[in-house]
Amino acid sequence: MKQKIKSIIDKLTAPDISFADVRITSTDYESIFFMNANLRSYGNSKGSPAIGIRVLIDGCFGFAGSKDLSAASIERLIAKARSNAIHGALFQKEKLTFPALPASTGEYVHQPEIDPFAMPKAEKLEYLQRLATSIKPTGKIVHSYAAAQFERQEKYYANSEGSYNHMIVTNSLPMMMVVASDGKQTQSRTWPGHMSAGRAGFELFYQQNFEENTETIIKEATDLLVADVITEEKADIIIGAGHLALQLHESVGHATEADRIFGQEISYAGKTFVKPAMLGRFKYGSDILNIYSDSTDPKGLGYSPMDDEGVPARRVDIIKDGILVDQQSSRHIAHKLGLAPSSNMKASFADDYPLVRMTNFCIAPGKGSLEELIASTERGYFLDYTKTWSIDDNRNNFQFTTEIGYKIRDGKIVGIVKEPTYFGITPEFWNACDAICGEEEWAYHSTFHCGKGEPGQVMRLSHGVAPARFKNINVSVKM
Amino acid sequence: MPETSQTNLKDSYMNEQLKHLNSALQQHPELKYVLTFREWQTDFLRFYQSQTNYNISKDSSSLAATLYKGKKSCSFTVDHPDNPKIEAALKTALDMIDAMPEDPDFVDIEDDLTLARPRQIVNNIEALGLNEKTRILRELAGRAAKYGFELYGTFICNYQSWQMLNSNGLDKTSTLSPIYLEVKAVHKDSQVTVLETFGGDDFSYFKEASFSDNLLTKIALAQNPVVDVAPGEYEVILAPRCVAEFAQYLSSGMRAASVDSHNSFFEGKLNQQLFPTFFSITDDPTDPQMIRRDYGDQGHIYRALKLIEDGQFRAFMCGQYYHLKLGLPKNGNTGACLKIKAGNAKLSDMITSVKKGLYISSLHYMNFINARETSLTGLTRDGTFLIEDGKITKVVNNLRFTERICRIFENLIELEDTAHTIPFSDNYGEFSVSSARAPHARVQGFNISSSTRTI
Repeated sequence: MKQKIKSIIDKLTAPDISFADVRITSTDYESIFFMNANLRSYGNSKGSPAIGIRVLIDGCFGFAGSKDLSAASIERLIAKARSNAIHGALFQKEKLTFPALPASTGEYVHQPEIDPFAMPKAEKLEYLQRLATSIKPTGKIVHSYAAAQFERQEKYYANSEGSYNHMIVTNSLPMMMVVASDGKQTQSRTWPGHMSAGRAGFELFYQQNFEENTETIIKEATDLLVADVITEEKADIIIGAGHLALQLHESVGHATEADRIFGQEISYAGKTFVKPAMLGRFKYGSDILNIYSDSTDPKGLGYSPMDDEGVPARRVDIIKDGILVDQQSSRHIAHKLGLAPSSNMKASFADDYPLVRMTNFCIAPGKGSLEELIASTERGYFLDYTKTWSIDDNRNNFQFTTEIGYKIRDGKIVGIVKEPTYFGITPEFWNACDAICGEEEWAYHSTFHCGKGEPGQVMRLSHGVAPARFKNINVSVKM
Repeated sequence: MPETSQTNLKDSYMNEQLKHLNSALQQHPELKYVLTFREWQTDFLRFYQSQTNYNISKDSSSLAATLYKGKKSCSFTVDHPDNPKIEAALKTALDMIDAMPEDPDFVDIEDDLTLARPRQIVNNIEALGLNEKTRILRELAGRAAKYGFELYGTFICNYQSWQMLNSNGLDKTSTLSPIYLEVKAVHKDSQVTVLETFGGDDFSYFKEASFSDNLLTKIALAQNPVVDVAPGEYEVILAPRCVAEFAQYLSSGMRAASVDSHNSFFEGKLNQQLFPTFFSITDDPTDPQMIRRDYGDQGHIYRALKLIEDGQFRAFMCGQYYHLKLGLPKNGNTGACLKIKAGNAKLSDMITSVKKGLYISSLHYMNFINARETSLTGLTRDGTFLIEDGKITKVVNNLRFTERICRIFENLIELEDTAHTIPFSDNYGEFSVSSARAPHARVQGFNISSSTRTI
């Protein structure tokens, strides 16, 4: 395949093509879904191929992608990518350009502890069936599921600057949920929340203690049916790491994707309140807030020796001591902003167009355990396990509801509340952060489902976070 | 021409790989199976700042199979299939199926053999080339530029087809070629945004002059001063896109699967008066001004289905699995073609009748808080306007609402006398385009819960 991708690059060395790159992926996928303890669906695909060819002609990118890797298809895709660039340039005011990079090479093969594609299928199904049976509807529990998705992707990348990357990774996404009902209302609990994916194999089920938490989610979903709601207007909140990962994702991660500054995502995902003039001076968060993008850490789903534009992996500070200092960028946009490209251009599959995407987007750890943080909170709520999320076009106004809130009084958890909902304005919220837990609580929380771009792509990515506390947050939503 | 009932497989148009797998499975009379061969292409022009962002062509083909042995099942998909890959996938599935746990709720696969009336489908990728797309965009950009606005959006043509076979004798094909044009005009300085869209499978319905004029009319409104409004309940005029999107979210509770998961607002409410008598929703795949559909997801014929009639809830959308599990009537509808019946008010009169309120053009990032209660939150986007003394006077920063959809439709005052086609892009999985038709709606007591403080 290395030979093949380099031979395609050779075909793209024409005088009118100022830059070209080619991606090839082969993806294995498996999905297992138990509903109410019964196997509702099992599906797989093996070696799903994809190829994408991108050319820059006359300052405009043209792209063609397919699942057909035959020689005839490749010739067709080259012609189509060229044609798309030439036609695209008919509706263009500013020629797209960026500085050349030296050629570089990347190679990475990830080996999971328990390869989900190699382990006996019966063993995998038996484990999930046992898990599903342990949360089977009974009593107030009226619905449940236990599910897993496994993905292995081999990817080749080459560009006209001589860069080449090859990697193989395995990602897993385990999940379970119970729904309780009293006939009038329903409440749900998931484990371990909506950011449950990881760069791992089947061992993720054991690492995330699924079997140890079935009784907890059954009890909490049932208890939520009779729980109170938050009655205060404002409260101090501690956000658990699983949910904080999504808060970070929506209100900092997407907001600091530089393609949004120039409106390249207005038609779908939206724009950002961030403006170029804010770099180096805007107080995004409190002094203890340090946020970085890190595609160099192989423990996260966002690791890659180089991105899908040939930029070697980097760790880039985005917010340093509360100040916005950099952006996630493409080579073109980094050039426009006078920045170095951040190695954030990614395509989900080879036949997808690369976009500015989060990789491993993290909050640096602070100090202390979650237990200590709760103990130091006189009055507030510990919120975790995302239920509802929503943020505006500019990534400025957000509102989240979690599945459960734990009421804190005098440093102790004294009860639960249902559907706790908080909202805020992004910089005000992050400036209200007065404590971040330490390394002992810091971990990656990952997703398969970050949607962006048109045609849409869902990206696999990670957030490294520890629980954090935010002071005096709006927790009263009138409805 | 009436729909007809089909009895024989039609080898003449059957894809080679589909035929190969079908032949192989006929050696296994102990199995039931569903096979679907799909081909999909898109030509996708995305633009920003009145220029090309990127220009994409993509295509794919896949063969998906689900095998059933009693109550055990196993599915596989082969992308860009060839016979060796299909044989390997089939062997794996056959080796696995005996070891699969049972689904006791499974009874049978789709058995509706009714064929849709044949339609001529134009391949809009070929009919509407890039030269024409860029010409239309250049013209629009030129007009918008005079007012300091730049264009952002997408101009898409898809061509997609599938053939589905199953062991109950179902053999159906379906082809779609939707067009989707979304143009957002954004002011260079204020960032005030307005939106105009076209969608359908027949480009003859695209009237370039009126599309351009509509966009310019909205641009004129967007030059009013920008203000903020306080949280609270407002009388609002919801644009057709908003009405359609709220109806789409509401319709999730009309799916049999949501009844099964105890998540449906409509459970136990069949034939109850839930909304005003002038409010009706039909799932109608036959309207030529929409993106038409012949069949549901499992191959059932797709016919118009009254979901809300004169304010009363009439039917759940139900396929074979939940029909046999829950005993609900089967119809194969999926809610992909929702039509909200027009009312009898003129839009100008609707606006005139608002003393102080809001005009909301479009919605953004909605998500249920509690689907069973239809409570959700979301935001306004692409043009929110203040109405004072019956006139649109100012642009309003985007706003957050937290509402129950059932309450929004309970609070309907009146509906416009014309329904408009609204295209929606489905951006997850294989990119697809759908459409809905809806009129403007005047609604009282719409709950604005906070301001975004930005446009």
